[in-house]
Amino acid sequence: MLKLRILLAGCLLALGMSSPRIAQADSTPVLNLFIWSSYIDPALLTAFEKKYNVKVVETDYASNAEMSAKLKAGGDSQYDIAVPSSYYVPELAAEGLIQPIDHSALPNFKNLGAKFQNPSYDPGDKYSIPYQTGTTGIVYDPAKLKNVPESWAALYDPKVNPNFPFVLPKGEGRDQIASACAYLGLGFTCATKEDWLKAAKLIVATKKRPNFAGFVDETPARDQMKSGLIAISTAYNGDIGQCYADGSCKTLKYFLPKEGTEQWVDTMAIPAHAPNPKLALEFINFILDAANGADLSNWNQYSSPNQAAQSQLQGILQTEMFTPSAADEKILYFLPPLEGAQYKLFNDIWTSVLQ
Amino acid sequence: MSASALPQTAVQTESRARAFRLWVTAGPGLFWIILFLLIPSAVLLGIGFLSSNDYGSPVMPLTSQPFQQVAGFSLLGWDDGNIIIFLRSLEQAGIATVVTALLAYPLVFFIMTRPESVRPLLMLFIVLPSWTNQVVRTYAWLELLGPNAPLTWVAHALHIVPPDLGIAPGGFAVTTGLAYNYLPYMIVPLYASAERLDWTLVEAGRDLYASGFKLFWHTVFPQTIPGLLSGIIFVAIPAFGDYVVPQLLGGDRALMIGSLIANQFTETPDWPYGAALTIIMLVFTAAGLITFRIMSRKLGGEGEATI
Amino acid sequence: MSNVVPRSVRNMLSAISWPVYILLYTPLALVALYSFAPAPNHSGHSLHAYSVLFADGDVGAALQRSLILAIGSATVSTALGTLLGYGLCRFRKPNARGVAANLPSLIIYTPIIMPSLVFGISELIFFNFVHSTTGLLGAGLLTMVIAHITFQVPYVALTVFARLAGLDPNLFEASNDLYANGIKSFFYLTVPVVRPAIIGGFLLGITLSIDDFTISFFTSGPGSVTLPIYIYGAIARKGISPEINALGTLMIGTIIVLAILHFFINRHRERASQLPV
Repeated sequence: MLKLRILLAGCLLALGMSSPRIAQADSTPVLNLFIWSSYIDPALLTAFEKKYNVKVVETDYASNAEMSAKLKAGGDSQYDIAVPSSYYVPELAAEGLIQPIDHSALPNFKNLGAKFQNPSYDPGDKYSIPYQTGTTGIVYDPAKLKNVPESWAALYDPKVNPNFPFVLPKGEGRDQIASACAYLGLGFTCATKEDWLKAAKLIVATKKRPNFAGFVDETPARDQMKSGLIAISTAYNGDIGQCYADGSCKTLKYFLPKEGTEQWVDTMAIPAHAPNPKLALEFINFILDAANGADLSNWNQYSSPNQAAQSQLQGILQTEMFTPSAADEKILYFLPPLEGAQYKLFNDIWTSVLQ
Repeated sequence: MSASALPQTAVQTESRARAFRLWVTAGPGLFWIILFLLIPSAVLLGIGFLSSNDYGSPVMPLTSQPFQQVAGFSLLGWDDGNIIIFLRSLEQAGIATVVTALLAYPLVFFIMTRPESVRPLLMLFIVLPSWTNQVVRTYAWLELLGPNAPLTWVAHALHIVPPDLGIAPGGFAVTTGLAYNYLPYMIVPLYASAERLDWTLVEAGRDLYASGFKLFWHTVFPQTIPGLLSGIIFVAIPAFGDYVVPQLLGGDRALMIGSLIANQFTETPDWPYGAALTIIMLVFTAAGLITFRIMSRKLGGEGEATI
Repeated sequence: MSNVVPRSVRNMLSAISWPVYILLYTPLALVALYSFAPAPNHSGHSLHAYSVLFADGDVGAALQRSLILAIGSATVSTALGTLLGYGLCRFRKPNARGVAANLPSLIIYTPIIMPSLVFGISELIFFNFVHSTTGLLGAGLLTMVIAHITFQVPYVALTVFARLAGLDPNLFEASNDLYANGIKSFFYLTVPVVRPAIIGGFLLGITLSIDDFTISFFTSGPGSVTLPIYIYGAIARKGISPEINALGTLMIGTIIVLAILHFFINRHRERASQLPV
């Protein structure tokens, strides 16, 4: 019995060992894509494979932090493209984990909207190219909460919501400190130690409220909203648009807080020791094509930073929720970059909030 | 053993043969762990003695700063946060261990009173829920203990929970989640050790007019101690470092040592600090285990009761 | 044995145990319930989630990888761990003191007490180093198997040790008289006696492997997505969708059906072999 098991194990190990070799025996170039799960249309990948006669291998991750840790520990030589969120780009660049992008290889770069060609988090798009974008707002259940102002007060003011469970987003604390600053009148893009400390105090006080139901990211929070487990939380416009479209959250209301909120951007970046950076550049250029960019957004149901693709967007992407008006634009901000000592200080403050 | 009657060389050969057998059997496993964990983690934990740059990566010079951070000193001065986190995690480990042990004993003996053919099936059914994804099954508990769930209506009626809130997130929900996740790890070693219980001892005890709980305590329980000790190790140690259950069912309101360490390598990177925290945690846990081992030797009498 | 345990005690045990079994499966029942959620823009229960699941090629690949990983690593770790537990129980000098005597214990405890994230990152750095200097051990299924074996071995060793620790040491001396060969003695005496622990250790190994996310994530290479990695990724992007619930329901449902079938087939076989000739 035992001998049989050992034999079986040996066979399985041999099988496992042979897999990487099988991949290498094939001489087609391979693009190793390190991306959020379900974030790219498989049809796009097939189209890319056919056009350039290559193979795309997709590996998924579930958070920026894990992706960054894996790159730091040696993964930056395994992948050709990673998809960090905008506020991770300055850190990855400063640590030498991603390489500068050769814009001369990207003729489609001009397709990007003006504000995405030179964003504050990565001037000149030196290290990253915008992939998808959207806004972060607040979603709530009007059946439970009445007279909710279109402001961050909905989350931070106990008088607006004294009884019903609510959540704040998890993660690195960037959104939370920024929104607390905005509520306190210090501006969404507050950047000084004193401002951060005041915002931190507000969040600690918010944590202590009896109806605080925890730190939950926007997408799982939307599920909890749908199940009635919570009554109000932050949310991405894409997620809410989706559940409006499939009818599962018809009664919930979504708005952008008037003090200012995030224009989030996910970007494509090339890890420093990518095995095939030229192919990576071709992939980026492929995504920047107007038709492909539109296809990507239509599949993801998120907004596109690609100006040339706007006319080809379909369905809910054409509604006001996804195309901010001029008034909306004034309250939408990129998360400002944190560099050097600022980064460390912010992390210390956020850790003290979590305790 | 009548060692004194044997010539000296025979004794030496005996103990050399014994040592050889020890190396052959225990060697491969120990060597595997040394090669594939001890050496790699020693390298990573070595950075606990380096400084960290602004982005949390290790740089020279050597310093004790990460350990000072463990003691509570940071850019914002000193605070007792880490001590509280540590005690909180300890409490969590204790609760998980006690609750799973209390549940495991009746379950194990229930299974043993069933016909032998059904027993593997009953054991499998206990282990099976842990083959679903942990997040999925913990979310199910979130729903089962949420504001609209039947059990919560009971809690509302008894005024234990305010009317619009749920049992989850909260302390009771966390305990439930911990028990749910760790029960298999207590039951498997307990069952493996209790399955060939020597019932003649029980009969002997009954002949001596013991009964009820006393009978159990003096004849049955001691035979299950090795399994119980393994179970305690399997539950207490992971529960000490667990942060998924308190995050999902406890509302993530409080950091556990597991999440503090994880954050240092991910969300708020400071790898030397994370390494220092891990070293302290390892030292503390190892010391606890050694103490545990010494105590268990006394309980188990002659011979080791646990590794 | 049933005549040893009085009826009152048996009833008490049942009264505690059946509710626990029910509670163990209540969350799973809820998961199953949600898997029958209506299709988008429809109402009423449906199998929509299951059809989406079957159409998704990635899930099948992830499941297959998880199974290979779990069974492969559990097999090797059971072998290593059984030998380890046996060796330490049988051949270690009893009541030895000092650092050297405690060293094997500490080594065995290390994978249990190491936080998964530190474990995973250490392995990644180590395999990266080995790969860049020797070209072996490229990140992929093999590196994941190695890591999984490493964290399973202590569990098996401890379970086997616990089983052996309760045994009469004279049994081993007796077997030495019967079988001169140590290996024969191991396979013919020890293994049958330790069988529940070996099986238990194997099951524990599979349990640990099949739900591991962190260590698998860091030791995986391009494309080696396992089921937990797939599920975590899907949850982060789409929340706990009906498809995820369908996946969980299918897995558990399949195993339950297989286990019950196996039980009835065995019982039938036993009954058939007992028929009078």
